[in-house]
Amino acid sequence: MPLETILIITLLLFSIVLIGIIAARPSLTATRGGKIMAFMVFLFLPILCAAMGVSSELERSKTTRFCLSCHIMEPYGQSLRVDDPSYLAGAHFQNHRVPADEACYTCHTNYAMFGSFKAKLAGLRHVYIFYLTKPPAPENIKLHEPYNNRECLHCHLGARSFEQGAVHNADPDLLPAVKANKLSCVSSGCHEVVHNVATLAKAKMWSAQP
Amino acid sequence: MTEPTNHIHRRLQIAGTLLVLGLLTEAICLVWARPLSFLTFISIGGAFLISGIGVYLLSLIPAKP
Repeated sequence: MPLETILIITLLLFSIVLIGIIAARPSLTATRGGKIMAFMVFLFLPILCAAMGVSSELERSKTTRFCLSCHIMEPYGQSLRVDDPSYLAGAHFQNHRVPADEACYTCHTNYAMFGSFKAKLAGLRHVYIFYLTKPPAPENIKLHEPYNNRECLHCHLGARSFEQGAVHNADPDLLPAVKANKLSCVSSGCHEVVHNVATLAKAKMWSAQP
Repeated sequence: MTEPTNHIHRRLQIAGTLLVLGLLTEAICLVWARPLSFLTFISIGGAFLISGIGVYLLSLIPAKP
């Protein structure tokens, strides 16, 4: 368990004990000091605990482990370990082009204003679909909207391999079209092998262990 | 003990119970690291915490004579 979570749980238990003491002996609030303590314990501490809890939960919801804790996402987790550089997600994960512990979030968040908030809303939609409707098979899962090049360009824009790559510069119209999101990085025949979970059974897997 | 004091103490006890339930829910959700835990934390834990704080704030309002 992360240290941050342990600290929050310690604060929660401390708050629970203090609240319990005042609730069991409300006469403690008769004095001025008791009133101030009750104010701190009944108002300040719960708000502090809730804020820290929400922050911790939101941070945890960015982790690869969190995303892959849904069974339906397991094949997508496996696709990160395919031993084939043409698998875009796997190549990014294995070469740490994205943080390995926030791999899903790094590519699937929205790098526009309120992007994290929109990503969380999309996560809530996943929960709704998973628990209240019939979820599709993993290979039939589709993005809610076409993948925006903005998410790729967040890291690759200005990078030498992107700006001066031979293939990217073979056609002078290509890079401007990519940057304007008129030509998709992932669905225009260039980097279209991303997760491809339907073909994972045939793929060779990479192991991080030497 | 006077009647208004009793009333305040009763509200403090209710507020305390609600807050303890909310904080316990939060603690369980922090340990139970699953996607549903965040929703449980926000919906159930949040409801307990808001209610508890609300009842506590109500207890601060002096009772009518």
